[in-house]
Amino acid sequence: MTDLLTPKRLISKIVLCLAVLVVVMFVCSLVGTQKISLSAVFAGPGDTPGQNTDYDIFVRVRIPRIILAALVGAALAASGVALQAILRNPLAEPYILGISSGAALGVMTAALAGVSWSFLGGSPMAGMAFLFAIGTVWLVWFTGHLAGGSTVTSLLLAGVVINAFFSAVIMLMTSLIDSEQLRSTIMWLMGSIGEKDFPTLFASAIFIIAGIAGLFTISQKLNVLAFGAGEAQSLGVNPRKITLVAFALASFITAVAVGLSGLVGFVGLVVPHSVRLIFGPDHRQLLPTSALLGAAFVVICDTIARTIISPAQLPVGVITAIIGGPVFLILLSRYSKKVGTLR
Amino acid sequence: MKLLWLLLVIAVILLAIEQLPLMYCYVDKYESQQRSQRIVSLSPNLTEIVFALGLGDRVVGVSSDSDWPAEAKTKSKMGTFWQPNTETIIAAKPDLVVCESFLQHREIAETLKRSGINAISLRVESIEELYNTILSIGQAAGCSDKAELLVANIKNDIDQIRAKASSAKKAKVLWVMETEKLRVAGVKTFINEIIDLAGGQNVIAPTGDQYPSVGTETILTCGAEAIIQSAMGTEDITKQQETAEKFWSRFANLPAVKDKKVYVLEADTVLRLGPRLPDGAMKVAKLLHPELFAQQIDTNGDKIHK
Repeated sequence: MTDLLTPKRLISKIVLCLAVLVVVMFVCSLVGTQKISLSAVFAGPGDTPGQNTDYDIFVRVRIPRIILAALVGAALAASGVALQAILRNPLAEPYILGISSGAALGVMTAALAGVSWSFLGGSPMAGMAFLFAIGTVWLVWFTGHLAGGSTVTSLLLAGVVINAFFSAVIMLMTSLIDSEQLRSTIMWLMGSIGEKDFPTLFASAIFIIAGIAGLFTISQKLNVLAFGAGEAQSLGVNPRKITLVAFALASFITAVAVGLSGLVGFVGLVVPHSVRLIFGPDHRQLLPTSALLGAAFVVICDTIARTIISPAQLPVGVITAIIGGPVFLILLSRYSKKVGTLR
Repeated sequence: MKLLWLLLVIAVILLAIEQLPLMYCYVDKYESQQRSQRIVSLSPNLTEIVFALGLGDRVVGVSSDSDWPAEAKTKSKMGTFWQPNTETIIAAKPDLVVCESFLQHREIAETLKRSGINAISLRVESIEELYNTILSIGQAAGCSDKAELLVANIKNDIDQIRAKASSAKKAKVLWVMETEKLRVAGVKTFINEIIDLAGGQNVIAPTGDQYPSVGTETILTCGAEAIIQSAMGTEDITKQQETAEKFWSRFANLPAVKDKKVYVLEADTVLRLGPRLPDGAMKVAKLLHPELFAQQIDTNGDKIHK
């Protein structure tokens, strides 16, 4: 990139993306299977339950759902940026290092054991998905380093192997034990943005925003790391330490997202690349803009998923892939000459 | 040290959240014995129960696969069984929503409760649970007496079939769910209960999976005297019968195939645990012991394909 990234430019880009997100969230909150009027919403809930259905639909169905979609999108996109940076691999995405299979194993275990405790007001599924995702990531990091060698390669290998192993365990579980509970769990895992209560959303928002903020503070070092571990070292950046911090934060926000909504695919891959193609590869702006636009992207996809075949709904992952794929290809063919190679 | 502070701050925030009064929730105050005027059902068998309790004209919405009784098809659709649409449900202004107890339905029930709608989660996976479900719906809708009567009727019919079938020798039954990747009904299913009370015995040994997939070897050695296959999809049932006979002809040594006792049964009464359970059980009993049940009049006048 020829133009330098000044604080002013950075802030203006972030504000622009934030504005896009706000507009998208507002417009999508007006779209749904039912027609509702905003003035009825502002009239308040009424004295008795069910008196003002417009209010109930807007406040208890659409708003929570849109907030959830935005949180998941932001977390996955930011996590994708970080993992692509530390693994120096354009194919990296939030689920590459075993988080997905770990989370899946977690919810399966919860469904089988009939775990009933709740986690921060979330369902036991969410809690177990989160715990297992974090556990898996730790396992990947641990074995990756036990293997030694180049940090990145052994991490990737450990991730792939653990992914495969856990997938096999899940298959084993489903063929040994099967019930309606388990089938519904698999449905849930395929990515489901639903309605959560506000305390859950609030707590998740704090975690995810804190994680993204943490990644933002090391974004300059991620830039250096992109040149390779050796170059980073000579520029005074400890590659191992930065990799660990970025990896931990990215995994953490991904695990929160998976606990909220199962495995919403494609966001962590397509959004960072698309934003990189448009704005350039500097992580200081790539990270916040990806998070904001990722949020907007999932909000749009979820709105389509819940309205297009109404009153039935589609899993949001279907829409993220169907829209994300072509959009990404168009961007790739239009911008890649301008920016040069991906990295 | 920095990290420690961060964790401390997070912990404090979390504690604060826990203390947040749930001010956006309506107070739970359902007057349960009040008669429900607007009912929504999220699964086909619950719809059947609601209609069987005579609450049909109060139903304002059903899941899209609710097709029995015919009147249910005319009700507005609230999304699919797996993914009901919360918005549509709230807009229908129900005062009672009956859901099943699996994850997706439970989450929707939670959201509905926050909007002050009485939503009950019901588990219907065995005949005993069917009785409890009918009673629970009756109680929630304010017609407990009717519910008790319905349960008593079903129990009575079932007992009659059981009593009659018990005089005969138990027939060995293989109950097939699907043939492409062969899957059968195991012993931990209500289908097993139906087989049992209709005078049959499931040839499949206990399995962990409710509906296990089985290998050719198991089939060859199972010694089934009757193969019952529940129909799939909307394809014409006589065609399915032909396909099934062709499929099973490869197991020519099975007693069921030799004696031409391969049957395709319409799925809605035998795979849907609802008030039509006695009809389903009667169909199975007729297949297994035609000599005992031949003169019995089929209550719905449904044809049995043989």
